[in-house]
Amino acid sequence: MRAVLALLFSTLVFAQNPHDTPADRAAGAKMFRSHCGPCHGTKATGGTGPDLTTGVFYHGSSDAELYHNISEGIAGTAMPDVFFDGTQVWQLVAYVRSLSQHATPAAPKGNVQHGAQLTREKGCTGCHLIRGEGGARGPDLSIIGSQRSLEHLRESILEPNAKVPQEYWVAKILAKDGANYSGFLMNQDTYMVQILDFSRGLTSVSRSNFKDFGIDRGSVMPSYKGKLTDAELDDVVAYLASLKRQKGGAE
Amino acid sequence: MQAQITNERLLKADAEPQNWLTYSGSYKSWRYSALDQINKNNAKNLKVAWVHQMPTSHRIEATPIVVDGVMYVSEPPSNVFALDAATGRPFWHYKRILPAKINVCCDAVNRGVAVLGDRVFLGTVDAHLVALNAKTGAVIWDIEVADSKTGYSVTGAPLIVKDMVITGVAGGEYGIRGFLDAYDIKTGKRRWRFNTIPGPGEKGHETWGSGNAWKQGGGPTWVTGSYDPELNYIIWGVGNPSPDWNADVRPGDNLYSDSAIALDADTGTLKWHFQFVPHDSNDWDAVQVPVLVDSDWQGKPRKLIYWAHRGGFYYVLDRVTGEFLLGKPFAKQTWAKSLDAKGRPDRLPNSTPTEEGAIIWPGVQGATNWYSPSYSPLSGLFYLTVWENKGLYLKGEPKYTPGNRYVGSVPDIDVADDPGYGAIRALNPKTGEPVWEYKMQTKPWSGVMTTAGHVLFGSNGGWLSRGREDMEAYFFALDADNGKELWRINLGGTMASNPMTYMVNGRQMVAMAAGGAVFTFVVE
Repeated sequence: MRAVLALLFSTLVFAQNPHDTPADRAAGAKMFRSHCGPCHGTKATGGTGPDLTTGVFYHGSSDAELYHNISEGIAGTAMPDVFFDGTQVWQLVAYVRSLSQHATPAAPKGNVQHGAQLTREKGCTGCHLIRGEGGARGPDLSIIGSQRSLEHLRESILEPNAKVPQEYWVAKILAKDGANYSGFLMNQDTYMVQILDFSRGLTSVSRSNFKDFGIDRGSVMPSYKGKLTDAELDDVVAYLASLKRQKGGAE
Repeated sequence: MQAQITNERLLKADAEPQNWLTYSGSYKSWRYSALDQINKNNAKNLKVAWVHQMPTSHRIEATPIVVDGVMYVSEPPSNVFALDAATGRPFWHYKRILPAKINVCCDAVNRGVAVLGDRVFLGTVDAHLVALNAKTGAVIWDIEVADSKTGYSVTGAPLIVKDMVITGVAGGEYGIRGFLDAYDIKTGKRRWRFNTIPGPGEKGHETWGSGNAWKQGGGPTWVTGSYDPELNYIIWGVGNPSPDWNADVRPGDNLYSDSAIALDADTGTLKWHFQFVPHDSNDWDAVQVPVLVDSDWQGKPRKLIYWAHRGGFYYVLDRVTGEFLLGKPFAKQTWAKSLDAKGRPDRLPNSTPTEEGAIIWPGVQGATNWYSPSYSPLSGLFYLTVWENKGLYLKGEPKYTPGNRYVGSVPDIDVADDPGYGAIRALNPKTGEPVWEYKMQTKPWSGVMTTAGHVLFGSNGGWLSRGREDMEAYFFALDADNGKELWRINLGGTMASNPMTYMVNGRQMVAMAAGGAVFTFVVE
C-alpha cells in the first residue's frame, strides 16, 4: 500500500501522465462517451456540465488536478467521485487534454479592441451584460470566452435560433381576463408558470387563468447575418473570445 | 400510557390506527390508515401542526414510526430522533459518527427505523445494524452487516418478524453480492442470510455464466418488504444486477436480480421467486413494496400480491406459489413486446444500452421506483406514483475494483427536449386498468398513502437538491375515489419519502418530510 501511495504521490507531483498514447486517448474517448457525455456532451463541448474543449478548467488545469477531480469528484458540484481505476483516469485525462490541444491552433484572428467597440455600437450590450454593463434580455457574456468555442460564438451571432437554452424560450400567455403576458420562461409547475415578463418583470401566472399558452423556442436575438462584414464578425468573435474567466475574480 | 410494542401488536397493527408501527403501516404493506377524522369533506381545511427541522444536508427518505405518542424518525445519513408526536419537540437524538468515505450511489439516505419492545432498530450507511433504547437512544448493540469499504450500505428500514430484525443492503452500483439478513432482537447475532446471487452449487448459479460475474452480481435489497404470518413467508424485492448498464459480463438470467422472493421466515430458505426482468441492463430494480391482499381471483379466494414494477408493468402474483397471474403496462414502455404465460418478457429490439446511446421508455428511474404504492380496501383501488418518461441508455466498459462504482456507463435521466411528466394513478388491481389520473408537470420522488377518509396523500416534490429550480414541492390531498384535488401546500423542499398518519390527543395528524424537515398537518 505504501509503495502504491508513493508512486501515486510522485505521479501527482510531476504531473506526468503515464498513459498518453493514441491507444490510451482512444480508450479515454470511449469511457468519456459512456460515463461523462451525459453531462459534458458527447463531444465534450458542454451540457449541464462545462465545456471541456477550451483548455481552461475552473477547478484546475494541470494533469494532476484533472486526475484528482476525475478520481474524487468536485465537492459542491454535480461532478461525482470515482468510477475508475488509476489507469482509466489517466486515459481520461489524456483524452480530455487532447481536446483542447487540438482546439488551441484556432486562435481568433480579429481585432479585440474593435470588436469591443462594435458590441456597443451594434446594440449587443442593449441586451447582454458584459462585466457590469448592459441589459438582461440575453445571456451574460462576461466570461463567454471560457465557456464557448469560436465556432459556437460565430454561429450564435449569425444563427441565434440554432441553440437556444431553455431559459431564453419565450412564453406567451393570454389570460381569461384578457391580459397578455410575454417573457422568458423561467419555471413551470403543475399549477402555475413563472416568467420574466418583458414589461412586468418577475411574474407568476396561474394555469387556471390561462385562455391560451404557448412557448416559442426561438431566440429573441436578431440575426447579424449581413449586418456585420466578415472582418467585423471576426473582430466581435475575437473580443468575445477574450472574455475569459479571471482568476480570483468574483464570478 | 406507553405500552411496549409486542409481536402481537405488530400482527394486528390495523387494529390501532392511532399508531404507525412498521415502514408500510402493517405487514400487508397497504400504506392505508383506518383513521377518518381527516376526510374528503374537510381536507380543504388542513393546516400545519408542527415542523421539525433536522440539521441535515441529505435527503429525508424516512417514513416515521409512531408508538403511543412518540415519533421515531431517522435523520439522514444514519441518525434518529425521538419526538413528541403531538408537538414535534425532540426527546432524544442519536447521532452516528461515520467513516470519512461512505459508498452510496445516490446520497447518504435512510428510509426509517423499526420498533419492538423497548428497542428501536436502525440500519446505517456504513452497513451496520444498531439497536437503541427507545427511551434514551442509548446503543444496546451495534453489529456490522457487511464491509462498507467494498460498497455495502444499509439505507432501508428494518422489518421486525417474530424475534428477528430483517434487513436488506444497498450497493447495486458497487458490485456487491446482495443478501437479506435476519438478526436476533436480543443479541444482534445473525440467524440466517439469504444470498440474492446464488453461489457455486446453488440453484440459479448457472444463470451467471461460467466466470466470476456472480461475485459482483449486485441484487441489493434496499426497500422494506412484507410478511405473511399465515404462510410464514417474508416477501421482498431484489434490485438490479451489477454492472447496471452493461450485461455482457454476466450472460444468463442473473437470478435473483430484479425479482420478488419469498423466504421462510424461520430459516431464510427460498420458497419461490418471480423475476420481472431477466438479464437486466436498464437498472430496473424490483425494489418496490409488495402489497399483500387476500381477494377473489377469477371466482376463487386467493392470496395475492399486487406489484407495480419499475419497468412499467403492473403484476398480480400468487402469494403461495409465486405464480404469475396478470401483467399489464401502467405507463409507456418500449422494451417488452408482451409477457408470456409465465410472465417472462418477450423483449423488443433496441431496448438495451448501446455505445451511441439508445432511447428507451421508461427512463433510468423507471415508470415507478422505490417510493410506496397504496391499496385502499374502501375503494378497492391500487394507487401509485408514475413517471411517463424516456431515457438515454449508454453502454460503456465496466471494471470492478472494490469500493468503486461498477455501473458500465452514466445514463441520461432527463432527456432535455422531452423530460416527460409525473402522475398519481389509480388502477383496478384485478385488471391493471387505469381508473383515474392526477397529472403533474414534473416527476415526483415520493409515494402515496390512502385513508378511511377517502383521501389520498401524495406529492409532486422532485429531487430539488439536484439544483433544479423547475422542480416543484407541493404536498397534496386528493379524493381517493376520483383523483380530484382537495388541498395542496408548497413545502418548498425535496420530497423523497412517503406520507403516513397517526392520532395523538384525539387529533389525526398527517406527516410528510420535505427538505430537511418533517411537517405534520391537522384539520382544525
